[in-house]
Amino acid sequence: MWIERRALAAELPAVASLGTRPLAETLASLGFPVDAIEARPGTEVLDVDITANRGDAMSHRGLARDLAARLQQPLAVLLPSPVAEGEPQLPVRLLARACPIYATALLTLGKGRTPEMAQAFLTALGAAPKLLPAVDASNELLHRYGHPTHAFDADRIRGAVSVRMARPGETLVTLDGVERKLSPEDLVIADEGGPIALAGVMGGEGSKVTAKTRRVLLESAWFEARTVRATAHRHGLHTDASQRFGRGADAAMVPVARDLLIHRLEDWSGATLEGAWTAGAMPPPPSTVDLPKELLTRVAGEPLHLAEAAKALKALGCTVEAEPGHLRVLPPTWRHDLTLPEDLAEEVLRLRGYEHIPAVLPPLEGPPQPLSRDYLQRQALARRLAHLGFHQTVTYGFVSPEMDAAFPGPRGEAADEDRAGRTLTNPLGLEYSILRRSLVPSLVEVAKQNLKQGQREVRLFEIAPTFRGLSRGPVETWTVALVWAGERWDADPESKAGPVMAKHLLGTLKDVLKSTNQELAIHPIEDGAFLVAEFPIQAFRTPDDRIIPAFTPHSRFPAVERDLSLVVPATLTWQAMHDAVWIALVGTVLVDVACADLYQGKNLPAGTKAWLLRLTFQAMDRTLVGAEVDAWVASALNAAESLGAQLRA
Amino acid sequence: MDHLLPPEIADADRAFPEALAACGDLDALLRLKGAYIGREGSHAARLMDLLKAAPKEQKRDLGAAINGLKNRWEEALKARQAEVEAARKATGAQLWDKSLPPPLPPRGALHPLNRLMDRLVDVFRPLGFHVEEGPEVETEAHNFDGLNIPADHPARGSADTFYLAGHPGLLLRTHTSPVQVRTLKNLAPKILEMGGIRFLAPGRVYRKDEIDPTHSPMFHQVEGMLVGHDIGMHHLKGTLEYALRALFGPTTEIRLRPSYFPFVEPGCEVDVSCPLCGAKGCRVCKGSGWVEILGAGLIHPNVLSLAGIDPAEWSGWAFGMGVERMAMMLSQTPDLRLFFENDQRFLKAMGGLD
Repeated sequence: MWIERRALAAELPAVASLGTRPLAETLASLGFPVDAIEARPGTEVLDVDITANRGDAMSHRGLARDLAARLQQPLAVLLPSPVAEGEPQLPVRLLARACPIYATALLTLGKGRTPEMAQAFLTALGAAPKLLPAVDASNELLHRYGHPTHAFDADRIRGAVSVRMARPGETLVTLDGVERKLSPEDLVIADEGGPIALAGVMGGEGSKVTAKTRRVLLESAWFEARTVRATAHRHGLHTDASQRFGRGADAAMVPVARDLLIHRLEDWSGATLEGAWTAGAMPPPPSTVDLPKELLTRVAGEPLHLAEAAKALKALGCTVEAEPGHLRVLPPTWRHDLTLPEDLAEEVLRLRGYEHIPAVLPPLEGPPQPLSRDYLQRQALARRLAHLGFHQTVTYGFVSPEMDAAFPGPRGEAADEDRAGRTLTNPLGLEYSILRRSLVPSLVEVAKQNLKQGQREVRLFEIAPTFRGLSRGPVETWTVALVWAGERWDADPESKAGPVMAKHLLGTLKDVLKSTNQELAIHPIEDGAFLVAEFPIQAFRTPDDRIIPAFTPHSRFPAVERDLSLVVPATLTWQAMHDAVWIALVGTVLVDVACADLYQGKNLPAGTKAWLLRLTFQAMDRTLVGAEVDAWVASALNAAESLGAQLRA
Repeated sequence: MDHLLPPEIADADRAFPEALAACGDLDALLRLKGAYIGREGSHAARLMDLLKAAPKEQKRDLGAAINGLKNRWEEALKARQAEVEAARKATGAQLWDKSLPPPLPPRGALHPLNRLMDRLVDVFRPLGFHVEEGPEVETEAHNFDGLNIPADHPARGSADTFYLAGHPGLLLRTHTSPVQVRTLKNLAPKILEMGGIRFLAPGRVYRKDEIDPTHSPMFHQVEGMLVGHDIGMHHLKGTLEYALRALFGPTTEIRLRPSYFPFVEPGCEVDVSCPLCGAKGCRVCKGSGWVEILGAGLIHPNVLSLAGIDPAEWSGWAFGMGVERMAMMLSQTPDLRLFFENDQRFLKAMGGLD
């Protein structure tokens, strides 16, 4: 909200002697940060941030009130001479609870124009003057005092005026020229021909003041905040008026704003007052709130005197009664946000300045809680992968339908099974419309982009939730995905870079997953240009919470290695060989079976390959002798031969 | 006694040294070993058969001859194996041009946003804070109602919040604050034995913002919350002063300014003295010496009540911080989108690994 310095000083003369920078700092320390300061002809304007709870501060007068309380300086008199009310000039009926009071007046306009000063004020705030005194004065009052008013062309009003809820099927062309279909929840001002204004939001085109207008009917009313917010939201019509009524207007301003508007029209245009009157009565005032001393002390962090608190609250317009141990506080009519003792404590601290709050570390009242297993596991996984040369990515949780279809995800279900349950109602666009079931398509996109940027090798991983659309809603599973693409590049000029092979990624997976019970699968994407793996992260399988596991003894006697050079069928799996040898040597001191060398080539019979099988034996209690080892090696060979292996000649 | 051996064995023995020398690798050596001293079909095996069939009076001499031969072959094979292995090692050594830099092991990186969140957790751990997490798909009850956000608050609109088709009450959480609601509810029954509640909630959140240099529909927040007896603004200030000094350095000053969030009362914005210029005034702090870093306040009594915690006995504070905003400020990264592009060069340089 723009605030013009001179207009602020008109409400609080003490501001005139305050530099713009100190003024901005004072406003910020009161909770109204200044986003920008700009020069205007002969003055400066400040762009002040007003939080949603402070509708009362959305004007020069409103900010001046808080500044006056802080600076302990008097405000200017608001309304020197109230207008004497008379008989209603036309009937005004209040038919809805949302409008308890409606002050009005009928005036005949004169020939005068909007004064230069008022034009300059509106221009400085970025509100173009309309050069129609009734419109400009209403506008100027809103910015200066915060209470929205409206002027109707009295000669275009048909019969009695009522404030009521709209009837089904009613429409209204608002000032912006748009025809609005009204809802029975919209509060309207109506004449006998139908709605002429959306109450608290915008006037109607049909009754607006123009250059031809001779007589005006003024409106200064109080509309319930919730009703105005709903109507503004329903019609997407957020106006200066709706923002102020929507945050709660000051009912006490109803007659005052009307009188100020009358005075302006008399001064500016030479208007003559036909009569001023008010329909309805003031809404009930805010309730009193108690501020106990203990609560104030707790919030403030140090004992504050109730007398000091009372002084601050009075400065903000509250009526305060001191009672033993607490204050009884009646908030002013403009402060709808003061409903709890905490609200009052905040006001006391705010006026005092948050810089006076002491800084104290809260004492521990119980034992610190450990970090969860799941969290620690993910942290460890990310670190391990990074140490293995992978780069952690962060990609969006939603993807396009095409990307969603591109990869089955860690659980392998078909995309169309549950996609409906993962679809957003209001996505930014189709490309961000589905909660992803797999991280892989996003990772592959990123990998492609990196290759395009000239990276020789791309190693990426992401740890994020994937989604499954169930009938009760999407369910999330923490998932890790890896992609490895490009050349395997180890930066060694003496060894050759080669294509990344599945075994490299598999080795990484085995490394990071050794303590989990996952089935490992590598998926080649685009003919193996991208090797990916993805799996849900399960909790660590730690049977033992000991910091150091139970002791396992190791042998101090020498190990014996024996090699068998075997020709085996090309179709034989290592797992089969490994298991067969182990089974054959159950009960021996076999400690390892490894493939020490692999040979595949022309020298071998078709359909075969050669493995150098390396058996390691080691006893816990003695040095092994050749004969016993020979016998075990013979058994191993028998087992291998039963799988079609032959000793290589 | 060698005259007792058959001529083909004598030939084989003569050919042995050359065959041995020809074995350039372990595999060839093993094959030679098989041929000479293997259990079946080898020269040694043939000799053993010969020995069995030999007349009794020759057995001793022949046995000695065979043993001698076998031992010689075995030892030669063993020696050659050692040579081959040594040669293999030596080859590696010769190939190393010592003037070249040594190859480094591969080195990846954590994402800078994750690193920053991890750092925040590290800073709060000594104060007894643990980590709580919640789902990204949330209910309106957790995301709004439980946080004292009015039913007609504009943030609930479909212009600001992503909703799930087919599940009218479900949305993508717009802040990490629903983790407050979940955690308070979960821990309410044992709050007394735990001696209050204190936790951080880092995570991803979603708002319907078009992608541009300062906006993203997905970003990260870290939420902090503490509940205890007689908790006031001084505790919030004390904790944040400690934490922000741990992050930005011991000379860092913090400043609280009144502000408003529906789920706290009193509420405040927290500024730190600009860590880039030492509060002298620069582009990042727009010359003011201060940078806005997070929003905070004392937990609104309604939030505690809604979670089943008696606000007359318990009180607390909460804060929420934008991770990207802080990362951009600290690193002066000019464009938010860089964090989601995931260029490896960016990740290596900005995220790295400790």
